[in-house]
Amino acid sequence: MSRKLTFAILTFVLLLAACGQVPKGGGPARTSTPVATSTEIPTLTPPSDTSIILTDDLGRMVTLASPAQRIISLAPSNTEILFAIGAGTQVVGRDETSDYPEEAKHLPTVGGWSGFSSESIVALHPDLVLAADTNPAELIASLENLGLTVYRLPNPLTLEELYLNLGTVGALTGHETDAAALVESLKVRVAAVDAKVATITERPTVYYELDATDPTKPYVAGHAGPTNFVDPLITRAGGANIGAQLQSEWPQISLEQLVADNPQFILLGDAAYGETPEKVAARTGWNVLTAVQTGQVYPIDYHLVSIPGPRLVDGLETLAKLLHPDLFK
Amino acid sequence: MRHLPYLWTLLFLTLAVIFSIAIGSVFIPPADLGRILVGWLTGAKFPEPLKTFAFIIASIRLPRIALVLLTGAALGGSGAAYQGLFRNPLADPYLIGVASGAGLGAVLTMSVKWPYSFWGLMAVPAAAFVGALLTVFLVYALARLGKTVPTTNLILAGVAFSSFATALTSFLMLRSTGELRRAISWLLGGASQAGWGPVLTVLPYLAIGLGILLLSGHALNLLQFGDDQAQQLGLNVTRTRTLILLAASLATAAAVSFSGIIGFIGLIVPHVMRLWFGADYRRLLLLSIIGGAGVLLLADVIARSVMAPQELPVGIVTALAGAPFFLWVLRRAKNQGYW
Repeated sequence: MSRKLTFAILTFVLLLAACGQVPKGGGPARTSTPVATSTEIPTLTPPSDTSIILTDDLGRMVTLASPAQRIISLAPSNTEILFAIGAGTQVVGRDETSDYPEEAKHLPTVGGWSGFSSESIVALHPDLVLAADTNPAELIASLENLGLTVYRLPNPLTLEELYLNLGTVGALTGHETDAAALVESLKVRVAAVDAKVATITERPTVYYELDATDPTKPYVAGHAGPTNFVDPLITRAGGANIGAQLQSEWPQISLEQLVADNPQFILLGDAAYGETPEKVAARTGWNVLTAVQTGQVYPIDYHLVSIPGPRLVDGLETLAKLLHPDLFK
Repeated sequence: MRHLPYLWTLLFLTLAVIFSIAIGSVFIPPADLGRILVGWLTGAKFPEPLKTFAFIIASIRLPRIALVLLTGAALGGSGAAYQGLFRNPLADPYLIGVASGAGLGAVLTMSVKWPYSFWGLMAVPAAAFVGALLTVFLVYALARLGKTVPTTNLILAGVAFSSFATALTSFLMLRSTGELRRAISWLLGGASQAGWGPVLTVLPYLAIGLGILLLSGHALNLLQFGDDQAQQLGLNVTRTRTLILLAASLATAAAVSFSGIIGFIGLIVPHVMRLWFGADYRRLLLLSIIGGAGVLLLADVIARSVMAPQELPVGIVTALAGAPFFLWVLRRAKNQGYW
């Protein structure tokens, strides 16, 4: 009898505990309370004429009293954008994978592919942490709970959205005019490519290789999406991506399918990891491909087509030159 | 050393806590550490850089220490309980599939983009928790034979379900585009959410689970004689087994929901405690709880500092360090005739 009673009491207590977890009010800001009395809770300054209020990728309204002077970048794309618009001197920290431009390498790191250290971020006293799509929402929430201002840039799906990102970062850093000038120069270069591409009569088929550790099932660039900028760039450069019809952004393709598609160009996005046209020609079964037989196998710097920053335009120009060398002397 | 188990284990835990406070990716000189502690006691205001250090310790390290403490305690305690329940030296808290169920729940929710809100951020831990508990209920239901639940059936059903869940999880991970690294990181174990929120969320379940376990020491001692003997000594074997199983699984589920799958703590800590302090479960459970907390804290310190400012998943550290250490303890025990 007492055992049944014990069971009943325990179930009741369990339900009580579960009910106690229901939050009594919105947002992640309620989930942490600093313990020591000497911690400073940042005061909210009312919006003034110089204040910057923007909504980020997660739908959060971010307010800065004045342009950010101590920025920590949590993604290589953000670092590139910051330096490209002239805000490089305002950056005080970066992630391990941010290696461009050269000046960025001198900045202290706060994390990388295996997580970020909140301690290191806090110790640098940033007034803005610039995050990207690769940084999970939990990290943003943790940093927000520590009183930091975080802004997450969305991943652009098109070059036009990239220009918007450049403008946003320009507004956050007080470099609106520099950002606008950069956008204009990029637009001019892209328009030049568009003009020449408009004159082509046929689009060569392109295979962009991500990883061919298993040559019978390589990973290729699939359809366009938040993590795949290669596909829209190939299209804009006057090519036709053979992976565009596949279901995911970075799918595997079987060698049979590849032979059936028989692309005219093979672009080695994994050239940085040691893949060369000679190695490709040596792969079993790959010598039936037209691209291998005619030598149209080219290494490409994946940074130019994978990082959503101003270098995407460099990538576009590189692709256009590769696919239509006669138009781009 | 065998004669003062609680003293030594608590000393170990205290040392581990001190290490965790003092060590991190930001170097805090020991003198400053002392000044901060004194300052907290006297209520003084800190100048820079002490203010930042104090903030780091209070808002980043202390909540993390609390979460890791609770996780280690849960894993150690439920590991001891499972080893007692199944009378099997290879038993760990994930024996009947809690890990694979939690992993499946977590990876399933990671493939969805949740809104940025309290519940959106709780989605993955909640799904892991629910997945873990659902697995236990399912395995229990599969293993029941009339009114009894034979341990062999539990283990077999657990292994079968684990394979199924792991296969599904692997498939989901293969299909994911951006979430693969996040999924792997979670499955390898490590504190993903910071602050006091996870600690407060996990605390009730751990209190209930570990509380029940601590009261089950005598029952576990009786179970070591075998089902029939224990029954004849007055223990309701099925009911006790169910209760201990549910309590241990509840604690484990709460622990893995925020910390991912951390292995070896639940396997090795109870063994070491048994080798050093004897197999009386009334003592062993509490010692495993304290010991598990201390060991996981140390592993977490290593995980945070070895690749600073990046973090190694804690599960890797426990596996790399735990296995050789356990082999060493085993050899010593063999030589001294404890085995």
